Amino acid sequence: MKALRHEAEALNKTGVTIREADPGDAVAGVPPRWVALPETTEEVAALMRVSAEHDLAVVPVGGGTKLHWGGPPERCDLLIDTCCLNEVLEHATGDLIVRTQAGVTMDTLAETLGGGGQELALDVPLDGATVGGTIATATAGPRRFRYGAPRDLLIGITVVLADGTVARSGGKVVKNVAGYDLGKLFSGSYGTLGIITEAIFRLHPVPLDRRWITVELPVSGPAASGGARSFPGGLETLVAGLAASQAEPSAVELDWPDVRGGATVAALVEGTAAQGRALAVQTLMGEHGTARITGEPPAWWTAPPGEDVLLELRIPPALAHAALRAIAARELPARVRGSVASTVLMIALPSDVGEPAFAEFVSGLRGDLGHLGGRLTVLAAPRELTLRVDRWGPASALPLMRRVKERFDPGRRLSPGRFVGGI
Amino acid sequence: MDLELINDCVHCGFCLPSCPTYVLWGEEMDSPRGRIHLMKQHVEGTPMTPEMAGHFDACLGCMACVTACPSGVRYDRLIEQTRAEVEREHVRKPDDRALRAVVFQLFPYPRRLRAMRLPLRLSGGIRRKIIPRLERINPSLAAMADLAPPVSARVRLPHRVEAKGSRRATVGMLTGCVQGEFFPQVNEATARVLAMEGCDVVIPPSQGCCGALSLHSGQEEQAKRFARRTIATFERAGVDTIVVNAAGCGSTMKDYAEILEGEWARRAGAIRTVDLAEYLAELGPAAERHPLPLTVAYHDACHLAHAQGIRSQPRELLSAIPGLELKEISESAICCGSAGTYNLFQPEAARDLGDRKAERVLATGADLLVSANPGCTMQITAAIRRRGAQEIPVAHTAQVLDASLRGLGRVPTIPA
Amino acid sequence: MSTMTLQEPARRFEELLGHGAVITDPVRLRTYECDGLTHHRVMPGIVVLPESAEQIAAVVRVCNEYGLPFVARGAGTGLSGGALPRADGVLIVTSKMRRILSVDAANRRAVVEPGVTNLAITEAVRDLGYYYAPDPSSQQVCTIGGNVAENSGGAHCLKYGFTVNHVLALEIVTPDGDIVELSDGDPGYDLLGAFIGSEGTLGIATKVTVRLTRAPETVTTLLAAFKDIEQGGQAVSAVIGGGIVPAAIEMMDALAIEAAEAAVACAYPEGAGAVLIVELDGPAEEVAHQFGEVTRICEESGAFELRIADDPAERAAIWRGRKSAFAAVGRISPAYIVQDGVVPRTTLPEVLASIDRLSREHGIRVANVFHAGDGNLHPLVLFDDAEPGAGERAEIVSGKILDLCIEHGGSITGEHGVGVDKSRYMSRMFSDEDLDTMQLVRCAFDPRALSNPGKIFPTPRLCGEVPGVRKGVHPLVESGQAEHF
Repeated sequence: MKALRHEAEALNKTGVTIREADPGDAVAGVPPRWVALPETTEEVAALMRVSAEHDLAVVPVGGGTKLHWGGPPERCDLLIDTCCLNEVLEHATGDLIVRTQAGVTMDTLAETLGGGGQELALDVPLDGATVGGTIATATAGPRRFRYGAPRDLLIGITVVLADGTVARSGGKVVKNVAGYDLGKLFSGSYGTLGIITEAIFRLHPVPLDRRWITVELPVSGPAASGGARSFPGGLETLVAGLAASQAEPSAVELDWPDVRGGATVAALVEGTAAQGRALAVQTLMGEHGTARITGEPPAWWTAPPGEDVLLELRIPPALAHAALRAIAARELPARVRGSVASTVLMIALPSDVGEPAFAEFVSGLRGDLGHLGGRLTVLAAPRELTLRVDRWGPASALPLMRRVKERFDPGRRLSPGRFVGGI
Repeated sequence: MDLELINDCVHCGFCLPSCPTYVLWGEEMDSPRGRIHLMKQHVEGTPMTPEMAGHFDACLGCMACVTACPSGVRYDRLIEQTRAEVEREHVRKPDDRALRAVVFQLFPYPRRLRAMRLPLRLSGGIRRKIIPRLERINPSLAAMADLAPPVSARVRLPHRVEAKGSRRATVGMLTGCVQGEFFPQVNEATARVLAMEGCDVVIPPSQGCCGALSLHSGQEEQAKRFARRTIATFERAGVDTIVVNAAGCGSTMKDYAEILEGEWARRAGAIRTVDLAEYLAELGPAAERHPLPLTVAYHDACHLAHAQGIRSQPRELLSAIPGLELKEISESAICCGSAGTYNLFQPEAARDLGDRKAERVLATGADLLVSANPGCTMQITAAIRRRGAQEIPVAHTAQVLDASLRGLGRVPTIPA
Repeated sequence: MSTMTLQEPARRFEELLGHGAVITDPVRLRTYECDGLTHHRVMPGIVVLPESAEQIAAVVRVCNEYGLPFVARGAGTGLSGGALPRADGVLIVTSKMRRILSVDAANRRAVVEPGVTNLAITEAVRDLGYYYAPDPSSQQVCTIGGNVAENSGGAHCLKYGFTVNHVLALEIVTPDGDIVELSDGDPGYDLLGAFIGSEGTLGIATKVTVRLTRAPETVTTLLAAFKDIEQGGQAVSAVIGGGIVPAAIEMMDALAIEAAEAAVACAYPEGAGAVLIVELDGPAEEVAHQFGEVTRICEESGAFELRIADDPAERAAIWRGRKSAFAAVGRISPAYIVQDGVVPRTTLPEVLASIDRLSREHGIRVANVFHAGDGNLHPLVLFDDAEPGAGERAEIVSGKILDLCIEHGGSITGEHGVGVDKSRYMSRMFSDEDLDTMQLVRCAFDPRALSNPGKIFPTPRLCGEVPGVRKGVHPLVESGQAEHF
């Protein structure tokens, strides 16, 4: 108890607001002891120095929208909540860049940038997500097809390492190859290498016009019998056609709410001539059903298909149909949604799916698709479902990743056990 | 070797992909940039080692790097100077020396060449038997036998061919050694085309080698002797323009003023050398073009495309023929490996390049291959023959034009 | 290390690769003494020309055995001395590894060996309606392996991004000789992203999976001639400010135009103090609209002549002058330094004025060629190496230009890399903490510092050394057990 008081004292001495954690602060089910609310990079550094001195395990959190993603931490003493790192520091419209603190929510950022007619071309699947969390989990939405993931738009980053070192890489210019790009390394690192405190992004002008073109693909084959034999007809040719279309859609999304039923495919075109290009896309889609053009996205656009049990599947685009067939063949009530042209699909399962069925689903799909280049990761699942399942699946460079982790966090105090291979 | 010319190279490497030996082997020393580096080493005092000489010898002299160079490095001048230096300083192995002696005493002399034609050109069956054996004894001899085209009837060209219709110009015509001996029908066609386009064509009977083969192999003195003789011959013929149908000859003759000194340089400057295609494009068409329903793959001879910068003219002339469809050969800027005497001195590399070219020529699926250089023609047909592929007929640009102008409906090609 | 000690590894390499693939003859070795940056020259100890990843891995393992540093080289066109060899080490040249292993249009990707040239990829997929988007000016020569090491950009990276945005997977040989796959689909750290642009310090790429981009429906290129560079700059700002992201916006000043004219006779409008090349691509309707806007902006900014290219031949004619500009400067100056710096686009006019001032102060001519859209300057600092002191003055001007870039919040390199040339500027752009943190990545991959040592970082610490103020010579160095690179 004495040690505990001692640690709390040290944390308080940093001058950063510290509060006792409550059950709502749990990280994938593991409750921290304290929550710190720093306002600057220097305050984060001070917290990290104290944590290093007292061997405190630290987990960063932004909006908390994905705190249940990844494995539960082996231990968790201090939750660093970045909510007060909430300032957009610099929006240079002429240079099409923005420098922002990591705790700014993506919504707030979008509002600020929109004032200057610009945007960060990342769609955010979860409301309330912050800049830091989006980078740390490498989340992107439909427009990843055209603009990529956070790593593709991030041009500068400030991080605080396990020992409190503040490090920057990149800068305020888009074109820059001076030094290693730490931004890439921190993208999708799940808080295991350091705390992201600031980010600089390249921006794009907000397109003058947007159109969504949507088509329903009915079940082909004997629908009534259900299961693997039913499959949205024509999906393969449609997606290939859209991906190669010179109408240049920014996104091609699939919504398949019930693997025994039909699916919806929606494409987005952006630009001055959006309407004309939408007509071209409509013609392409028209071969598969009645395609409709709207000025608003479908209700499901960007949103993940579920929350508690969520998986992500990546596969080379021409094999998307094989992946979908394999999912359907598992005969679980899966909901599938995602970027079908760049083939990053989210799969949601009901939370009562049960451990055996879940384990079989994951290992079965990995078996079906692994040799095709398919990679299935469990983004979120309660601990009881993953007793026999590796959330992350195989990564060929795992030994190198471990070496990186060892250099950055030799004491294993940053989100320990949350990441691939138990990193 | 001229250090100033060497220093023009900024080491950017743009020449690398244009260089046939770099394309084959991917080694710096066998790229133009690497060779210039070797030249610099030599100028700065490194002796001419056999390794160094070997890399210079391996250069085809195709001049593709001159085209590719954004800094305007005169690699053509540099390699000529270097070859002369190699000949002065480098002691070759006896068999290499002997072969070189044969070639330089044979090719530039039309009459000697004529005497050699029969033994070189064996009938198909015998050739197939003998080449593998020659290959074992000496790849260069095999290359010679492999390349030589079949003997065709000797053609004696008149000393003067009168223009058809109203005369637009009077020009001299170079018959060339290899062209004249191995491909006399090309010379005939050239003379006819010029005449049909309204030119009086003067063909001095006593002309010999222009010096190209010697110059490209470092035989500087022999080259100068031939150059002076050629100038004198055409001066006597009373023409101030010489039309040349062999790319290698044309590029050398255009450089006479630079190769020679003093009075001879001045005399060289007073005569204009033009390539046939260059001249015809400049003159503009007068005679009627009759249709030739053919697909034609046009091969850029290095000494035409790179040394003389003539790429568009032959293509324009061919495309202007009704019914003729022109196909581009991929990697058109890369040498076929003929390169003057290269296929005799560097037979393995020449073979590899020939095979590479043959593959790309065949890929066009054309009915006819057109090339403006006798060496290329021999090299590519030999390579196609080696592949055992359906042989593609070959013709010179002059022959295609001749066939069109005369309304033959087909091109009498060079027998392979 | 003496040549004696290289004899044994050389023999081992010959066993592994064959006699012809190992160069030890000094005359030949010297042809590899520099890349495209010629004022740094080091004759490599040994050159090897492997033909497979397995051979590279075997060579690297032998290097580890003998503690030999190694440097990878592609076509040797780099402009920062990134492939500068080590006298005591091995130069691993990938120029024989130039097979295109597969083209997969359905999945929009191709797998190539590292010695394949950038342009060869586009040529291999053009007929399928695709191309490889990053297009450095040296694209016909430079290899994809070199592009990966340098994270090369090019004129079109304004819209399409850099090598890192177009490489989907790599097979690498790690600094200790393992063959490892780094893939964007794999879970875990983005080591692929960290590796690209690491200038050969984290290993050697042996297989590259690139993304193929669909050829746009329309490409329109416009050349606008202005009285001076200020007007051109105004036009650039107005285009970007107008919400247009062209595929490329390039600018050349009068001196650069003069050089290009001398080299390739590009026939740019006479009397132009600056030319702007704007390329728009994408869906036809989109391009048509943007084209109208760009034309209007150029005219309003004072363009006195506009040329429009719609077909590939006309487009090539416009680009010819720009693409040849670097090497073409050789036509108007006996010697020159190609600088590569980046400034925020909005500071361009100010920075250009400062460069002009520097040029006049030091009596050194500076030609400007730049990727105006992203603020990437390529000042060409011209001098006569025969004139005493001119080289030094040019160096000063060149260095001060980098200082300007740093002052304005930019970067010391936009695409040529740090290499050996700019490592001394790194500590002006980054703090010790920043550099130490980057060094952590280096140490994770290459704890023995054998892979291209001496590049990027200014005298870094040895891996395992505790960060802190360094005093005197490191004990390991002093005792001869280790050396700083």
